[in-house]
Amino acid sequence: MKIGLIFTLIISKLLTRLLRLINRGGTTLPGKIACKIYPEVTKILADRHTIIMITGTNGKTTTARIIGQILKENGIDYIENKSGANLLSGVTTTLIESVSVSGKSKSEIALLEIDEAAFKQVSSFIHPYLLVVTNFFRDQLDRYGELYTTVKGVASGILKNPQTRLVLNGDDSLCASLGVDCKNEILYYGIDRTALTSGENKINSDAAFCIFCKSKYTYTTHSYAHLGWYECNVCGYRHPGLQVSCSEIIELSNEYSFIKINIKDSDKNREKIYADASINLPGIYNIYNALAATACACIMNLPVSNSLKALSIFKCGFGRMETLYAEDIELKVILVKNPTGFNQVIDYLLTEPDKLICTFLINDNYADGTDISWLWDVEFEKLQSMGKKICKLYTSGTRAEDMAVRLKYAGMEKKSICMEKNYDKLLDKLVKENKEKIKVYLLPTYTSMMDLRKILASRFDLPDFWK
Amino acid sequence: MHDIKICHLYPELLNMYGDRGNIMALKKRAQWRNINVQVLTISLGDYFSPLDYDLVFMGGGQDYEQEIIQNDILDIKGDNIIKAIEDNKVFLCICGGYQLLGKYYKTWDEKQIEFLGALDLWTIGSEKRMIGNMIMECDFLPGENSGKQVVGFENHSGCTYLGPSVKPLGKVIKGYGNNGEDGYEGAIYKNVYCSYSHGSLLPKNPALTDHLLSLALKQKYGDFEGLDPLDDSIEYKAHDSVIKRVLRE
Repeated sequence: MKIGLIFTLIISKLLTRLLRLINRGGTTLPGKIACKIYPEVTKILADRHTIIMITGTNGKTTTARIIGQILKENGIDYIENKSGANLLSGVTTTLIESVSVSGKSKSEIALLEIDEAAFKQVSSFIHPYLLVVTNFFRDQLDRYGELYTTVKGVASGILKNPQTRLVLNGDDSLCASLGVDCKNEILYYGIDRTALTSGENKINSDAAFCIFCKSKYTYTTHSYAHLGWYECNVCGYRHPGLQVSCSEIIELSNEYSFIKINIKDSDKNREKIYADASINLPGIYNIYNALAATACACIMNLPVSNSLKALSIFKCGFGRMETLYAEDIELKVILVKNPTGFNQVIDYLLTEPDKLICTFLINDNYADGTDISWLWDVEFEKLQSMGKKICKLYTSGTRAEDMAVRLKYAGMEKKSICMEKNYDKLLDKLVKENKEKIKVYLLPTYTSMMDLRKILASRFDLPDFWK
Repeated sequence: MHDIKICHLYPELLNMYGDRGNIMALKKRAQWRNINVQVLTISLGDYFSPLDYDLVFMGGGQDYEQEIIQNDILDIKGDNIIKAIEDNKVFLCICGGYQLLGKYYKTWDEKQIEFLGALDLWTIGSEKRMIGNMIMECDFLPGENSGKQVVGFENHSGCTYLGPSVKPLGKVIKGYGNNGEDGYEGAIYKNVYCSYSHGSLLPKNPALTDHLLSLALKQKYGDFEGLDPLDDSIEYKAHDSVIKRVLRE
């Protein structure tokens, strides 16, 4: 091995330790510096792994973690990047951490979530064995630009990797379009028409018109946002059909979903199955994440029974429906990033049977998106139907005021809206003054979640974010 | 009891950056004063009748969506939109909607796309995107100092220039505005108000919202005396916090 590479690995590994010592995560900086010293480092280390990559707007982290659970069920060792460290620098840091100074890796498989806008760049260095694309929604337009540019970027990355097996969301017309002109092996996943009642969905702001010819799609069923069974009557572009699907939704509770899963792979050698599946996560969007992970396991020829077991026991972390306890009070942390994701969270809140306190922590730092206009695209109006079940609405973060205005115009009672920008005081109100021990929902944007975790960790003895 | 009819043009296509928040602000602030509000949506293929509405709103879209409406707005609705404007109807147009009212859009490679020509203004594409929080001062708003200040968030690459018959909406205090050069933002022509500010513009600027509502009601009811005051403390906290943040940047 080249001496330059060894030197680079030593430097970055030392840096990671140093950063952790001073309580900084060190999940991206070492990789960034390594790329500067030795630009080929990412490619060399990636070539020593079998890469499973997950990209798309929403559900990357959850999908990656479900895949991780499936790998564990199969006794397969893997490395993964930490949520948020999903640009080239973060991926490089992860790869460096996993190899020894001599460049030997602990595990063969690397499970990597990649920012959808970074995929185009990353795909020049890393050639994945398997790529999962979850979906495309509008997200932080000040950072990503137009949605169609992001889709095109991912498409051009795929074009560079014709050997990569693809797992695509067939219900997303933008995502499925990636499969139209490529030679890659593809599995489409989604929710069958039989599982949903038909009808038009009002909220379809991202892709109501054909990606190829700009005519309006007709839909037979809708699951949420623009996801469903679409067809363009002008150019003929349509839903591709599904190999891994949910054919019946038996129960959607606020804790889990119970579905019928149907695997009818085109490959004759693979297992076909029609079975009950219990998904230990609530919400339709997590049915999609579970299907994506299951499809991924199908491509790897892993036994379906192990996948189903993983779905039934999977527990989420890091702000994805994460449950924490602070002095006996249940705190549920759900990261919010964009209108579609936030709308899903609101639909989830509506299934909550008990009283709750809702806390919105909205920051406008670069990683959150500096433009908070997307709050106006979220259907907070729906919360009205919860009536007195919502005991209090707190707003916090650098844009606490904007959030309070949004809630006011969503028809929330003015006296239930309370602004508290100081996280310590906020936690006092949520925990210390919460005598009835009402369940608390914390809905932070990315950087406010990081800040909040630090305070939660120090006050209530919770683990640090990179662990 | 007063009635107001609001027309939302192409809501499913021109719906960037929470522009629909403007409709919510107009609607709520009218309803809180017991004014009857109807919001009607007009989109592709629909006939736009200039006399049917008191206030017309058009937001911005991505290039993809703007291409979809291009022919529809020019061929089907254009003449009636111009008629409504000349007839002193109140309009609020943001970003793409603002540009569409102008004469043309010239891309950076000199391709000229003809627009409605309802207002004497034109837009030239640039490679630089003008993104960020902004503050402008609007003379026509009541109050002193920050009362005249309007806050928003701009995100555009087109540079807009105004002809002599069009006045700017405000003077830029922080941000780029129309073109990043002349220090002005937005446009006013008759009762047409245009701005690059998404974000949404109206919720955090209640004085501007009320100004538009009053104009529309005065047009409709000769004896309209003005709007009742509301408690805008939350709105002004948001308004002032942006000013504080932006001036610190």
